[in-house]
Amino acid sequence: MNRHYASPKGTAAYPRGSSAFLNGFQPRSQPALRRRRQLFQRLILLGGVSLLLVIFIFPSWRAAILPALSLGLFHPAADLHLQTVRYYDLSEVQGTERGWERGERVLMLTPLRDASSHLPMFFSHLRNLTYPHNLIDLAFLVSDSRDDTLNMLTEMLQELQNDSDPKMAFGEISVIQKDFGQKVQQDVESRHTFQAQANRRKLMAQARNWLLSATLRPTHSWVYWRDADVETAPFTILEDLMRHNKDVIVPNVWRPLPDWLGGEQPYDLNSWQESETALALADTLDEDAVIVEGYAEYATWRPHLAYLRDPYGDPDMEMELDGIGGVSILAKAKVFRSGVHFPAFSFEKHAETEGFGKMAKRMKYSVIGLPHYVIWHLYEPSLDDLRHMEEMKQEQEALEREEKERQLAAQKEGQMKSQNVAAAKGSDEGPAAQPLKDAGKGSSNK
Amino acid sequence: MAVARSMRRTSPTSLVLAALLAFGFICFLLSPSTPSAAAAATSQQRQNDAAEHPLSPPTKPFLTSQPVRSDGYRAAPPVVQYDLNNLTSTSTSAANGERILILTPLARFFPEYWNNLEKLTYPHELISLGFIAPKTKDGNAAVAALEKAISRTQSGPIDDRFASISILRQDFDPPILSQDEKVRHQMAAQKERRESMSRARNSLVFTTLGPSTSWVLWLDADIIETPPTLIQDLTRHDQPVIVPNCFQRYYDSKERKWDVRPYDYNSWVDSEEAQALAANMGPDEILLEGYAELPTYRTLMAYLPDFAALDPHRMVGLDGVGGTALMVKADVHRDGAMFPAFPFYHLVETEGFAKMARRLGYAVFGLPDYFVYHYNE
Repeated sequence: MNRHYASPKGTAAYPRGSSAFLNGFQPRSQPALRRRRQLFQRLILLGGVSLLLVIFIFPSWRAAILPALSLGLFHPAADLHLQTVRYYDLSEVQGTERGWERGERVLMLTPLRDASSHLPMFFSHLRNLTYPHNLIDLAFLVSDSRDDTLNMLTEMLQELQNDSDPKMAFGEISVIQKDFGQKVQQDVESRHTFQAQANRRKLMAQARNWLLSATLRPTHSWVYWRDADVETAPFTILEDLMRHNKDVIVPNVWRPLPDWLGGEQPYDLNSWQESETALALADTLDEDAVIVEGYAEYATWRPHLAYLRDPYGDPDMEMELDGIGGVSILAKAKVFRSGVHFPAFSFEKHAETEGFGKMAKRMKYSVIGLPHYVIWHLYEPSLDDLRHMEEMKQEQEALEREEKERQLAAQKEGQMKSQNVAAAKGSDEGPAAQPLKDAGKGSSNK
Repeated sequence: MAVARSMRRTSPTSLVLAALLAFGFICFLLSPSTPSAAAAATSQQRQNDAAEHPLSPPTKPFLTSQPVRSDGYRAAPPVVQYDLNNLTSTSTSAANGERILILTPLARFFPEYWNNLEKLTYPHELISLGFIAPKTKDGNAAVAALEKAISRTQSGPIDDRFASISILRQDFDPPILSQDEKVRHQMAAQKERRESMSRARNSLVFTTLGPSTSWVLWLDADIIETPPTLIQDLTRHDQPVIVPNCFQRYYDSKERKWDVRPYDYNSWVDSEEAQALAANMGPDEILLEGYAELPTYRTLMAYLPDFAALDPHRMVGLDGVGGTALMVKADVHRDGAMFPAFPFYHLVETEGFAKMARRLGYAVFGLPDYFVYHYNE
C-alpha cells in the first residue's frame, strides 16, 4: 500500500489490484462482463421506471407517448370512439298517417317563459302521451325568464329520463337558452292589447325559429308545437292529428270559464280562413303592418275555426285554413325543411303562426283545422275577471252571512225580539270591512 | 481490483446522465412525426366537443360506445342544455373558437373542390360539413366519390380531419336531369331549377344547423379554388351576409394565355328599371339576372372589380346575392332567413334570401375584389 502511494510514476491513477492491466493486454475477465450486463440491466430498469412515472404523472405526455408506443399500428384510443360522418336519406322521413307503426320520429317543441307554474301540468301531459316516447324528441326554448323555469325544467326532464319504466324516457332532449330582450310584459292584461301584439308576435316568431332551427334533425318526420299552458288534451293527440295525414293540422282551442262567464269560450282566434274583406284590407296597409285577429281595429270578417265548434260534431271533420294559431300544431317536417317558418317580419301582412299558415299555403301545402276536435287552454283570469270574482265572492259571503243570521234570528225570535231587529240592521249597513273574516268563521262553524 | 474499476464507471453522475440520455433517445425514437402536443390537444378538444348520444346535432361527432342502465336497458339520451346567449360570431372568429358549418348542394363531385376544402387554414376541428345530393344516378356517383374522399381525410392526420360531416339525400326529384350547361341556363327552365335548388338548400341548412354553429358558409360543389384563408377573410368583416366575387379561369385562345372572366351574376345592386319591371309582374313571375330578354340595368358586382388597383377588403352594399360562395351569420338563418322556393318580391333562391335577410333587418355586402373561382366546363 505504502509503496503504491510512493510510486513516482503516478500509478496511483490506477486501482491497486490492476496488475493485469499494467502487465499488458489480456482478455476481459468473466466477472467484468457480468458486471457490465448488470449495469445495462440497471440502466434499462431505471429508464423504464422513470418513463412509467412520467407517463403516470403527466396526462398530456400520456396522450403523446401511448399512440407512439403502438408504432402507428392503431389509431389513438380517443379517436376510435368518435363517429364523425352521418348519412341521412330524407325520402325515408316523409311522414305518413300511421307514423307510430313505421317508427317515425316526432320533434316536440315548446317555447317557455316564466312558466315554472305550468311545468308540473305539462309534464303530466308528457307522461301520458301514447305515441311511443322513444320516437319523440323534446326541445324547449327558455327565454327571458325571471323565475326558476330553467332549473325546474332540467330537473323534471332528468327525472323523466331516469324513470324506472324504460318506456317512459323520451328521445333526444335539448334545452335551449336564448334571451331576446323582450320588454313586453307577458301577463294576460298587457299581452293582449292591440299595439303590443304586432311586436310581440314578431319576437315570438323569432323565438320559434331559433328553437326549430337549432333542434330540427334530418331524422324527423313530424314536428309538433305545443304550448305549456294547455290544461286538457287527449293523450292520443299525436296519433289523432297524424291520422289525417295533412301537411299542417291544428285542433280547435277553447278554454274553460267560471260558470258566471258562460262556462267555456273560444280561445285561439288565430286559426281562420281568408276573407275578401281581409284581403282588401291587407292591400291598403303599409309593408310592415301586421294584421292581428280578434281586435276591433281590423274587422276582417273571417270565418274562425274556434266559432265553428259543435260539441256534438264529428271530431274528424276537416276545414281548410289560411292562418293558424300556435297552441298545438302538427306539421310534417318536410314543411319546415322546405323553408316554411314563422315570419318575424310582415309576410303578406301577417307574422308568426298566422304568417306560417300563409307561407305554407304559398308553397302549396295543405293547412287544415279540426273544428270539433277540441283541446282546452288553461284559464288565467284577467284583472277584470279577478275583480269581478272578488266582488262575487263578497256578495256570496254577504248572502251566506245574512242567511245564517236569519237562521240565528229565527231561533232566537221567540226570546229577544228587540235585539233581532238591531242585528239585521247592522248587517245591512256594515259592508266590506269584515265580511271575509266573518264568513270564514261562519263556514268553519258549520 | 476490478471492483474499483466498475465503481468508477457507475458513479452516480454518469448513471443519471446515462438515464437521461437513454430516456431522451427513446422519446426521440418514438415521438410521432406530427407535432404530438398540438395533435393531442385538438384530439382532446374533439373528444370534449363530441355528443354523448347518436341523437344529437349533426354538427357534433358522437361517442360510438353507449352506456347501459343497471337493469340492462340502453340508457336514455341525456338532457342537454345549450346556451345560445354565449354564442358569438365576430371578426376574430378563429381566435374565439367559433364553429362554422360549410354547406354544399352536391350535383357533381370535383376532386379539386375537396382538395381546396382540405387546404383551408381555419382550424378543422371547428369546421362541420353538410352535403345534400339528389337521389339520381348522378347524385349516387357524386356521393360515392365524396364518401371515398371523406374516408381518406377522416382517417388521416388528426389536425386535417373535419369535426363532423353530414350527407343528406334529397326527398324530391330535381326538375331537369341533365346538368348540361346550355340546358341549365335556359330562362324558362331557370325558375323551376332555382326553386328546386331553394328547397335543397333549405332542407340542408335547417336540418344541420346545430345549436353551437356561429357561421354558415355556402360553397357550391363547383368552386374549385379559393384563398386558403377564405373563412378568416370573410368573417373578419363581421357582416351578417357577405359574398365574394365568383370568377372563372379560362384559356383565351386569341391571346394565347390563361385569363379570368366573371361567372356569377346574381350579386347586384337594384335599379329603378328592375323595380318598375317587378311592379308590373304577376305574383308568380320572377325577375332573373343575365338574360337579354329581361334587361334590368342592375349594377352587377361581377363588373365592379378594378383590376388595376385591387383592394380585397373593399365592400359594397348589395340587394341580391349569388350562392356559389356566401358567408352568413348563423343568427340570420335562425331568425328565419331562407331561400324562398316561391317568388318573394319576384325573387327566388339566393336573391330572394338577400331580400328576406334585409326584411329581417340585416345588411348584405359584397367583396368585389376578393375572388373565388368556378370550375370551367
